[in-house]
Amino acid sequence: MSGTSNHIMTVNNLSIKYTNKRGWSTVFEHIALDDISFHINQSEVLGVIGRNGCGKSTLLRVLAGIVPASTGIVHCNPNITRSLLTLGLGFRQELSGRDNALISSMLQGVNKKVALQKMDEMHEFTELGEFFDQPVRTYSAGMRARLGFALAIINSVDVLFIDEVLSVGDAKFRAKAEQVMTNKLNSGQTVVFVSHNIAQVNKICDRIIWIRDGKIYRTGAPKEVTEEYREYMAQ
Amino acid sequence: MVDLQARMALKAEASRLYLSYLWWVIEPLLYVAVFYLVFNIFLRSGREDFLVFLIVGKIPFLWFSKSVTLASNSIVENRGLISQIDLPKTLFPYVSVFGALYKEWVVFLVMLMLVALHGYYPDLSWFWLIPVFVVQFLFILCCALIGAFLVSYVADIRMIISMGMMFLMFTSGIFWDINDIADPNKRALLFLFNPVAFFIDSYRKVLVDHGVIDLEHLLAIGFASLVLLALLHLVFGRYSKQLAARVLAL
Repeated sequence: MSGTSNHIMTVNNLSIKYTNKRGWSTVFEHIALDDISFHINQSEVLGVIGRNGCGKSTLLRVLAGIVPASTGIVHCNPNITRSLLTLGLGFRQELSGRDNALISSMLQGVNKKVALQKMDEMHEFTELGEFFDQPVRTYSAGMRARLGFALAIINSVDVLFIDEVLSVGDAKFRAKAEQVMTNKLNSGQTVVFVSHNIAQVNKICDRIIWIRDGKIYRTGAPKEVTEEYREYMAQ
Repeated sequence: MVDLQARMALKAEASRLYLSYLWWVIEPLLYVAVFYLVFNIFLRSGREDFLVFLIVGKIPFLWFSKSVTLASNSIVENRGLISQIDLPKTLFPYVSVFGALYKEWVVFLVMLMLVALHGYYPDLSWFWLIPVFVVQFLFILCCALIGAFLVSYVADIRMIISMGMMFLMFTSGIFWDINDIADPNKRALLFLFNPVAFFIDSYRKVLVDHGVIDLEHLLAIGFASLVLLALLHLVFGRYSKQLAARVLAL
């Protein structure tokens, strides 16, 4: 990284193309993102908005280093840790919340001893009570969400990618989650945040990217971008 | 990490079943019972001590087929986790293979007990089981990684793997003796192209015949497996993200 820039990640001419085979010869092809470039600043909360299917979730996966870009470059210092938080995925249904939490923590690079020490904190935060030691398959959607959120928030990573997570759980947990998020953000956490909840985006984000037809349609301060987005969506 | 996950998976599996850990032993023995019924009682194999012969064939084969089948689906089944974190994809087949290994050593102990109970007493030559076991394990790892990679790319491979297991079951000499093949060339070819048949024959040589195993052949399989394993790790490293993309688009 150059000395003057505080970009934690840079994206150059990124395109994402899906191909999905349907039978022998028919191939379904869809260009989700078409030659986009942007950067993520250190300690900023970047919101990504756009209609369903515009490629937001795929973008997060590419940024988190999970799937490759079709073309273009995502530049990120190799010692920057990244984690993607989505809902209800990634749990082993047969394992208890505790075992899942332990595995996830270790997969995020926390060593076993530290991970075990954090289990009580995790248990308390999730408010799962006795369910924490029951298989995840017995959980309600809200409980799974709480576990997922706790996992992402308790282990620190440099860049956190969040896909529509804050919009679940009951009102009480949502308030708590927002509170914890806000604390994290104040402590300098870099976050890329995808949501349909415009009020929430406005409240949390420093900057917004609006993706439309595979391109970055607008980028800028939350208020301006979301206002125009609201009008567009109302049409 | 692999160890922890494998143990947790075993614990979870056991907690779901009434007989929990007993199934580790019951399942292979039931297989043996079915084969015994068909080949010895209905078809009258005529071989003396057919039960021991069968146990020593079927149990190592089950270890191979279960591990590889389980591992082949492991990456696809962990789609959820793969969609969240960039992980070395070898992790998943390794967890499957190690889980199966932890079960297997219990099953092997039971097998050895049954063999001893039938009058084939343990002696020093039993130590030859160890290199055979180790090489079979390496070979299983290779097949597991290959299977997991291919199934992630083309889901149809799953069908071919189950067909392949059936083919192997018939060609590995589980309920018949490969040494009964009259033509020595055919025998050699079978051992060359089907390491599972070689493993089973080696277990029998040690446990039943008190004979000598073909150490050179065994070491060759072991060495080839190690080289292949190293290559597979390179391939998995190179295609890690592509694998994720493939699996997530399914």
